[in-house]
Amino acid sequence: MRTSSAAILAATLATSGLSTKEVLPFIADDYPRALALARAEKKPIFLETWAPW
Amino acid sequence: MRAFVFTDKALGRQAGRFVWLSINTEKRENAPVLAKYPIQASPTLFVIDPVGEKVVLKYVGAATVTQLQRILDDGARTAGQGRGGGKRDELLAKADAFYSAGQNKEAAEAYRAALESMPTTSPSFPRTVESLLFALSVSRQHETCAAVAQNAFPHLRASPSAANVAGSGLACALAMDKAVPTKAALVSALAGDAQKVLRGPRTGLSVDDVSGLYQTFAEERGSAEDTAGKTRVLEEWAAYLEAEAAKGKTPEARAAFDAHRITAYLELGQPERGIPMLEASERDFPGDYNPPARLALAYRGMKKYDEALAASDRALARSYGPRKLVILNARADIFDRKGDAVAARKVREEALAWAESLPKEQVSERQIAALKKQVETPK
Repeated sequence: MRTSSAAILAATLATSGLSTKEVLPFIADDYPRALALARAEKKPIFLETWAPW
Repeated sequence: MRAFVFTDKALGRQAGRFVWLSINTEKRENAPVLAKYPIQASPTLFVIDPVGEKVVLKYVGAATVTQLQRILDDGARTAGQGRGGGKRDELLAKADAFYSAGQNKEAAEAYRAALESMPTTSPSFPRTVESLLFALSVSRQHETCAAVAQNAFPHLRASPSAANVAGSGLACALAMDKAVPTKAALVSALAGDAQKVLRGPRTGLSVDDVSGLYQTFAEERGSAEDTAGKTRVLEEWAAYLEAEAAKGKTPEARAAFDAHRITAYLELGQPERGIPMLEASERDFPGDYNPPARLALAYRGMKKYDEALAASDRALARSYGPRKLVILNARADIFDRKGDAVAARKVREEALAWAESLPKEQVSERQIAALKKQVETPK
């Protein structure tokens, strides 16, 4: 969460774009679909913004 | 978080409470989502109320499983699920709203008000402190940021936030103007806190945060002109990351440390140490631009410019989005170091054209202006 160059790199570790088995059923890159589903199921959206670096 | 957190079975109980969405910020088609939910660092996590598409909670940076559980619980509560909030929850929700809107000065003020009424034992205390530190840091209130970190650290020393709070506070203290009289004392106190984390047990801390703390602590040793001390910290940092990578059971888990490791090796002046891991990553992930992009940096550090350019070629062939700018910048620099100013200029022109073609959510006016300046006034 730091803003120095150190922080930028620090953030990278956790945002590796490599696919792994996830326990949480993530919808990838489809905001309209997530929004429609959240409204239908009356649930909040958890959004993870990430970059593959 | 993808390699280590979202895979943790402890999060299973949360699965049905939310609709889970991941957005790759490098993809052009995701620009409208970034317009709606702007970010200043990656990763940024949001909890969004779908009615009105309102952000109820934002967290900047990587979270451990424990931290994520708290974010999810707080987010679900604010979004109207679970138990209703009292005065303290109201103050926190107000701060979260400012923070989510990117109003960092207002958020910092509101988080400070929320902290005043919050016992240090509250489960929300750690993430409130972390959000406050980020809001203070990006609004350039470095002295306050360092002081908040110094005061909060004793309460968070045994928590997953310890490394982040010490590291963020130390980075803020180092960023303070030399003329500020409190600077030396704050740097010294927070460097002491950093050492407590790095010398103590690391259970529950994210590798990400510990790694970031090593880097900031090395910077502090450098600013104190302690060259031997800085090298020692950099060596410890590299050894720590190598040990963590060795624990990885999959190529993904091992490669997740590449970015930090190559940074540590470059700072140590030993870029050749990164070549075997990056070659392994390029073999394991042939479609990923990161391993060749990092190899280009390593070869550049070794002054092997032809190998650096060959790696850069492979990275460019796989790259897309704003990251391509970083790869092109490094490429121009390799040509400069090789003494080929004409090729360097051509690459910078290409970078400018690429930047101008990106959606405005993926590139700032400042970045475009800087590229223009580089093209107009070459080295």
